[in-house]
Amino acid sequence: MSESTNSGTSQEMKPEQGAPQIATGSKVRPRLRLAMVGVILLLAVGFLLVKGLGSSLDYFKTVKEAKASETQLGTSVFRLEGVVESGTISQTTLGARFTLTQGTSSIRVVNQGSPPQLFKATMPVIVVGHFAANGSGVFESNQIMVKHSASYIAQHPGRVTAGDGSKN
Amino acid sequence: MTRAKLTKWIGIVSFLAVAVDIWLGLWVTPPDAQQGNFVRLVYIHPALAWVALYLAFGVAAICSILYLWPRTRSFTMDRIAASAVEVGVVFTVLTLITGSIWGRPTWGVWWTWDARLTSTALLAVLFVGYLALRRVPADPHVRARRSAIAAIIAAIDVPIVHFSVVWWQTLHQGATVLNPNLTPTIHGIMAWTLLLSFLAFTGLFVWMLLVRFDIAVLEDLDSDESLDVALAQRRAEGAAS
Repeated sequence: MSESTNSGTSQEMKPEQGAPQIATGSKVRPRLRLAMVGVILLLAVGFLLVKGLGSSLDYFKTVKEAKASETQLGTSVFRLEGVVESGTISQTTLGARFTLTQGTSSIRVVNQGSPPQLFKATMPVIVVGHFAANGSGVFESNQIMVKHSASYIAQHPGRVTAGDGSKN
Repeated sequence: MTRAKLTKWIGIVSFLAVAVDIWLGLWVTPPDAQQGNFVRLVYIHPALAWVALYLAFGVAAICSILYLWPRTRSFTMDRIAASAVEVGVVFTVLTLITGSIWGRPTWGVWWTWDARLTSTALLAVLFVGYLALRRVPADPHVRARRSAIAAIIAAIDVPIVHFSVVWWQTLHQGATVLNPNLTPTIHGIMAWTLLLSFLAFTGLFVWMLLVRFDIAVLEDLDSDESLDVALAQRRAEGAAS
């Protein structure tokens, strides 16, 4: 910070010592504006907390958790997490059927809608839906979200296409 | 070298580094075994989040604390904090946008209310609120103190965002580099490109912060000047009546 602007006139300025002034362009009174900022902020934060705390703190149930509380869950909608078991994926007219596992537990899933691109066997996924009303233990979902890992490994340069069919 | 020249060179070098990062990220690095070409977002998205969360809001929080501490209280601290938050909000929004673009093809959804995404959205709203608070007309000292307190409260969300993937179940994956074991799970040219992206965007942040700070100083000079003009007018009115 230089003080070279010190020309000795009435326009003497010292940015380091001079307090910044705020231009009061608006006619709305400061207190009212402060209150407005506060209200809008509270509404936005409130919305996020309701939306977030409602779902993010108990974001999904694992296959074991879901099986353990199957009767309590009934047909309520929740997110279910598990690993897609190899050899269980089959296409249906409306979407796909597959089995989600966690250790030795497993749940059959019927999904409406086509799965995302990264969906394949052995991938951990989250499905959104509910247990079937007929008590068969089948999970009826209408959305699949693929959990990919935080590891990044180069595709083998020798391969023409990767396991999921994408080109190298 | 003068401050202005240094600022200019930091800008030039940072933009070049970002260009190299994009070249490496799009052409040189290989596709990922799991994600294929979608992995290329990793050379932008985490670096943006790094700048927003740790650098920008970190600087804002530290300068706000230094403002509140009587021995280091100065409007310079207030201006640095305000400048850092402004840059940080831009980077937070970019983090949310690039994350959304990455999420759609890999997760299958643009958005989901998991802990990482929700806490990041909250962070954006809190710091936009900080900027709104600064726009409320007030005595400069009152505004600076008020803003400093607001910045510190908002910054509490930063560690929550960071640990959200550890504390709660999330769709968002855990950290690749700053994971609990501190063992990066990325290798070779992919890791080097990731490192370059962090350095490049860090440089860009420093450049933006310096430029924004200079603007803040000029803004205050300008309003000082207009105050002088207004005072002179009032005095003239007083003399005329």
